[in-house]
Amino acid sequence: MKRRTFLTSAFVGTAALALGVSIYSPEFISANRSQDSQHRLLFSVLLPVFLDGALPDVENLRRAAENRTLDAIGQTIAILPEEGRVELEQLLDMLEQRLGLLILTGSVTPLMMRSPQELVSMLEYWRSSFLDLMVTAYQGLRELVIASYYSCPEHWSRLNYEKPTFLGQEV
Amino acid sequence: MVIADPIEEGLASGWKHIDASQLSQSQTLEADVVIIGSGAGGGVAAEILTDAGLRVIIIEGGPLKSSRSFNMEERRAYPDLYHQAAAMKTKDKAIGIFQGRAVGGSTTVNWTTSIRTPKNALDYWAKDKSVEGLSREELDPWFEKMEQRLNITEWPFAPNRNNEALKNGCEKLNWDFTVIKRNVKGCWNTGYCGMGCPVNAKQSMLVTTIPAALEKGATLVSRAKVVKLEHHKEKIFAAKAIALDENLKPTSVELTFKAKHYIIAAGAIHTPTLLMRSGVTDPNQILGKRTFLHPTLLSGAIFSDPINAHSGAPQSIYSDEFVWRDGAAGQLGYKLEVPPVHPVLIGSKTLGYGKSHAELMANFNQLQVTIALVRDGYHEQSQGGQVHLTDKGFTLDYPLTEAFWNAARRAFSSMAELQFAAGAKQVLPISEGMPYLNSWAEAKTKIATMALAPLKTVVASAHVMGGCPMGEDLKISMVDSHGQSHYYENMSVMDGSIFPTSLGANPQLSIYGMTARNATRLAERLSAAKG
Repeated sequence: MKRRTFLTSAFVGTAALALGVSIYSPEFISANRSQDSQHRLLFSVLLPVFLDGALPDVENLRRAAENRTLDAIGQTIAILPEEGRVELEQLLDMLEQRLGLLILTGSVTPLMMRSPQELVSMLEYWRSSFLDLMVTAYQGLRELVIASYYSCPEHWSRLNYEKPTFLGQEV
Repeated sequence: MVIADPIEEGLASGWKHIDASQLSQSQTLEADVVIIGSGAGGGVAAEILTDAGLRVIIIEGGPLKSSRSFNMEERRAYPDLYHQAAAMKTKDKAIGIFQGRAVGGSTTVNWTTSIRTPKNALDYWAKDKSVEGLSREELDPWFEKMEQRLNITEWPFAPNRNNEALKNGCEKLNWDFTVIKRNVKGCWNTGYCGMGCPVNAKQSMLVTTIPAALEKGATLVSRAKVVKLEHHKEKIFAAKAIALDENLKPTSVELTFKAKHYIIAAGAIHTPTLLMRSGVTDPNQILGKRTFLHPTLLSGAIFSDPINAHSGAPQSIYSDEFVWRDGAAGQLGYKLEVPPVHPVLIGSKTLGYGKSHAELMANFNQLQVTIALVRDGYHEQSQGGQVHLTDKGFTLDYPLTEAFWNAARRAFSSMAELQFAAGAKQVLPISEGMPYLNSWAEAKTKIATMALAPLKTVVASAHVMGGCPMGEDLKISMVDSHGQSHYYENMSVMDGSIFPTSLGANPQLSIYGMTARNATRLAERLSAAKG
């Protein structure tokens, strides 16, 4: 077995641990923990940071908004062209692995074990990096989360915006 | 309220439409003319050639969508109607590109701004790019024809407040501005042109030329992606396509199109991509190079009163104060316009996240946005981008040069000056590191030293041009000044890819007018040959 293949296999095995799934996962996130192909758990950690101040204050409304956004993220990923989807999946996979975390964030601490402030520091580290790879990782995740959140009409009340209703019943 | 849907009615009346996603078997179709692409070029060509009695097939990679499905939500419009769900980017991801992908092409989703090709561009093409017969005097009759056909008239109503701010700022500063001509008929002034017109007021190709062609017997094939032109010596002998499924993913079903003449109208980026993938003759390695974007900067401004930039005709005023100021080949100029402000568009094209971003979004209705479209392709340091083939598709490598950043700094400054003159409380240049600016004096100082760089400064594009230029000099052009291939007697290109530079103006009317001219000439030639 080539060393690289071995390393990859070994670290895939630790993905759940890197994310902190075995230690903690929020009750309200609807995710099949064994087959989280849409990376819902990963995004459930990032959403409160990206959307701080935008998500509703009331707990159950916030949870509903987070779950809706996770659904929208899944739908967005599904319609990305193949090259873009492959690129994004590589990034998400790295964030779910310890080696990837180390490369991208300088630490193997699972994302779920990090405080909101630590997650902000991580995003700011990418955002201001001199490496384009880091900046595009930040921008890719940011755009995906923010576009998915604001794609849902349920999330427009804070904008005092709604689309016109003259068309009545929708198709 | 129920809006009549001309597409559904037309299909019910027996239009010949093949949705390739529904095909289970490969097939071959034949016609006098095959048109690849159904946007501004393909649509106009289809009507003119069908009117001339020719059998026409229009092939479109995107789906056939119509007003019934245009629900004014970005989450539906972007995946349905735009290339790469409106998330297309240049190779280094520094420029986001909006380009339509549905029947009607970008005309289905554009903001209706209709401007005749600027004389400065045409003069430059004649002088430097070996283009012949395209003076404004020669083109104006064609513009008039298309303006009548698509009801292109000056917007007679008050601009929305987003555009009004642009107008007010220009008036205060004594800057040039123009009331925009729009291709609309019975417009409801709702502001959702970019998501497909829900009331069929926009006179896009989807509701004008393509229905007219279908009424006269043309065939429309949607969700079919042409992947290769088969050619031998100086002739194209087939266009090979693959059927796409409902999610626009390739299937195993193949379609072969055979015709006497082939018109490539897939739009800039995609026309050169198809020609490159087909390995057509290109001795001077021109294809895909000099692809232009009008790379665009954004400046936000917070006003005390509501702006409601989501509502009303999205574009009704522009300013050409800075477009040609230094001459065509001088330092890069920029056109000032405004975009509609919708939640996903503005959420993703602004900066940051968390509380600062939420605060910006909470000012959604107070937010005025001005954009500066940089005129690329004239200055020696503005040679545009280059399309490269990849295993799965293409990339567009578009370097943002010093000359561009110089224009960007001037553009941010002009936009801030304009917005403060119009009454803005604060201005926010959309570039990393810039704070809310509280006065023109502060803006002037901060913008003079602001950091500008790819991936730090938001740059977007909604105008893709060039990559298959026209002209008479074979060293710098792929097609002649009528869009006829220099190398293949039965192939023409009719879309924005033939522009030798960007236009310094929104491109749809230029494509309409030039295609009307070129397709009319082609129709005469083909009809004569048909006897």
